[in-house]
Amino acid sequence: MTRKTIGLLMALMVSIVLLAACGNDKAETTSPADQRKELVYATSKDINDMNPHLYTGSLPAQGMVYESLVENTEDGIKPLLAESWKVSDDGKIYTFHLRKDVKFHDGEPFNAEAVKKNIEAVQSNASKHTWIKLSTKIASLQAIDEYTFELVLSEPYYPTLLELSMTRPYVFISPKDFMNGGTKDGVNGYDGTGPYKLTEHKSDQYAVFEANENYWGGAPKVSKVTAKVLPAGETTLLALQKGEVDFIFTDDRGADSIDVEAMNKLVETGEYQLVRSKAMNTKMIVANSSQADSPIHKTAVREAIWYSIDRETISKQIFNGTETEADTLFSSNVNYANVALKKRGYDLEKAKEILEEAGWKLEKGGEVRIKDGSKLMIKLYYDVNSSSQKTQAEFIQSTVKKIGIELKLVGEESSSIANRRSTGDYELLFNQTWGLAYDPQSTIAAFTSESAYLHTTKGIAKANELYEKINQVMVTMEEAGRKSLYADILTIVHDEAVFIPITNGNVTVVAPENLHGISFKQTQYELPFERLYFE
Amino acid sequence: MSSYILKRILMSIPLLITISFITFVFINLSPIDPVEVVLHAQGVPNITAELIAETKAMLGMNQPFMLRYLNWLVACLQFDFGHSYVTGKPVWSLLGPAFLNTLKLTSVSVIAIIALSVVLGVISAWREGKMMDKSIRGVSFFLTSMPSYWLAALMVWFLSVKLDLLPTSGMDSLKSYVLPVVVITISFAGVYFRIVRSSMISNMNEDYVLYGRACGLPERKITLHILRNSLQVAISVFGMAIPIILGSTVVVENIFAWPGLGTLSVKSILSRDFPIIQAYVLVLAVTFVLFNTVSDILNAAMNPKLRKDL
Repeated sequence: MTRKTIGLLMALMVSIVLLAACGNDKAETTSPADQRKELVYATSKDINDMNPHLYTGSLPAQGMVYESLVENTEDGIKPLLAESWKVSDDGKIYTFHLRKDVKFHDGEPFNAEAVKKNIEAVQSNASKHTWIKLSTKIASLQAIDEYTFELVLSEPYYPTLLELSMTRPYVFISPKDFMNGGTKDGVNGYDGTGPYKLTEHKSDQYAVFEANENYWGGAPKVSKVTAKVLPAGETTLLALQKGEVDFIFTDDRGADSIDVEAMNKLVETGEYQLVRSKAMNTKMIVANSSQADSPIHKTAVREAIWYSIDRETISKQIFNGTETEADTLFSSNVNYANVALKKRGYDLEKAKEILEEAGWKLEKGGEVRIKDGSKLMIKLYYDVNSSSQKTQAEFIQSTVKKIGIELKLVGEESSSIANRRSTGDYELLFNQTWGLAYDPQSTIAAFTSESAYLHTTKGIAKANELYEKINQVMVTMEEAGRKSLYADILTIVHDEAVFIPITNGNVTVVAPENLHGISFKQTQYELPFERLYFE
Repeated sequence: MSSYILKRILMSIPLLITISFITFVFINLSPIDPVEVVLHAQGVPNITAELIAETKAMLGMNQPFMLRYLNWLVACLQFDFGHSYVTGKPVWSLLGPAFLNTLKLTSVSVIAIIALSVVLGVISAWREGKMMDKSIRGVSFFLTSMPSYWLAALMVWFLSVKLDLLPTSGMDSLKSYVLPVVVITISFAGVYFRIVRSSMISNMNEDYVLYGRACGLPERKITLHILRNSLQVAISVFGMAIPIILGSTVVVENIFAWPGLGTLSVKSILSRDFPIIQAYVLVLAVTFVLFNTVSDILNAAMNPKLRKDL
């Protein structure tokens, strides 16, 4: 009887597997023939609400579906939905001549009226968009004729075109999709003008984007892009090995969860290629200069910490070479950031010297420097959900110990760190710049914003001069003046060592070996999928 | 019997209210301002004081604590769990499908667990102390003690990647059930089969078995009797298995990208989506209380002695 039961059990198990194997398989890996036309990428988050005038949607997905008036490229601002534009001499009136051959995915015509309605919809939800300074400077909007649109500002604002080029909020959705005459309360559909249409979305499972055959720029060659939600990094890697997913990239968190070594192993198989963009952002430690009772209030202490960070080891060991060492707040490929600034390399002796000069003395046998009876102890806050920040923090803790600084590490949730940043309740914390398309203007504008870096910059000697120059640079229309103002701004914060750079991050793509046309946008959050093709 | 059922149901109401209150208090104890959470969750890049005030009023956060709790409770009773901070969608529209997906996975797993535990329990009890019993217990001990994420990764690597038999993740076809169900079954069946086994063994030593044998009843009939009596004990244990598995699919769901409660809860916790977390805890608590009540009632129906205790 025992043997019989076991036999029965085995039979049951086998039949379960067989039965399952007979099941229909619509999501099974595509065969090599049609794989040439389709791409499946892994994303850690669902595409969410794709309303382009709010901030919950996935940026890479929104970038496929919606388009802006102009495009930000390596060579500057280029036409996109606007064929050409003119800026009035006083810098206040922008006149755009729109493309005439553009239709929304639902067949609605794209024209000046649609542009006006969309920008009005964004403006009616102004409090959500204060980060984008343009939203506070729009005075009026007018559709001059069917394909001419005029934007009037309350004062000149040089980054206007740049901010109009961003993936959100100034992009266009068919006015037919508006709800209650706007987009603030939601939308009825997601019809943009972009190269891909969203055709299917299963929340938290996948989203399918199909090529827009009527795209004004010609239909993209890859006819179907699927975003598959795979929350765990290990799962993504296995799905990649099996071919269920064939494309990953480091969007806002996405492939960061994939081990660098595992990525390299995939490439070694010869079936995948790894492509890296140039530097897109700077990861840094922000020092609170305005905390008068903390040692970090003093430039000398901040400078000493800067000198005692071994960026080479962090880049090679902690980031496995995926991030490069950063010596300044912005890498030199950021507009206006190619400024000669003093280089502060890894130099413990120099750091000790600076502290000695500033009066921080090491007692015989003591480990921590003392000045006026108080110890040189500083707190560094890091994001508990970022394993790399924790490792970096521990590593930095060990090196600053060598120069007599005791660093206390506090791990917290990212929202609580953001809260500390806006209330000024911190000494040091990890942060990063906004990234290529947004820099330098967005990060620099944040120097004056309470919710961002006001506490970081407020305590430095030249704070007022700094803020004045920031206000000036945003309204300066002439290029040379802007250059020199930016140079001054960057020099002030560099000399004061309030933003201590560590590494430059980039976008990494793992793609099938025969996929071509991989390129990057001027932002770390999305990719130009429409340029991809198989060969 | 009906008065017992009524009493048992009435008893669970204060319990549920207490749970709901504790959940609400805990989430409100969080040091993070929910308004900032909402704004961060919605990806608003710059949070201004006006925006905070506006959002606070919109969410009704400026009301006193007890009033907020009561409003929430009353709304929950009408199946209105509020709106997700992150997506702005009604919580039920996110929780409902996720709950169903997890329930699908759980139901299939529970059937597999019961089938496997009963079969293994019976064999093991019948062969008590013999090689077969020892090896079943040994293997099950080994498998249960393996972390399920590791087991899952191993199986995906072997069955999906190497042998190309099954999908690695997702919930696309019948095939995608196999791996998560097997992983859940392995981690639970090892525990539950022991219950069946020990209950069988204790029943085997009962007088009625000896009597049956003495009367010359065929072994098969005696086994069926023992099994029926042993399963009575196991019913309440199996009854509670459903909510326990419902609540413990987090790891498996995340590994297999199963769009269920486990995945949703982890996502909501990471993004501090409080309305979803609150509703998730409440739904799980209700499920626990519900299954507990049902299994008590079932037991009472089978054993009239239990009804008097209440």
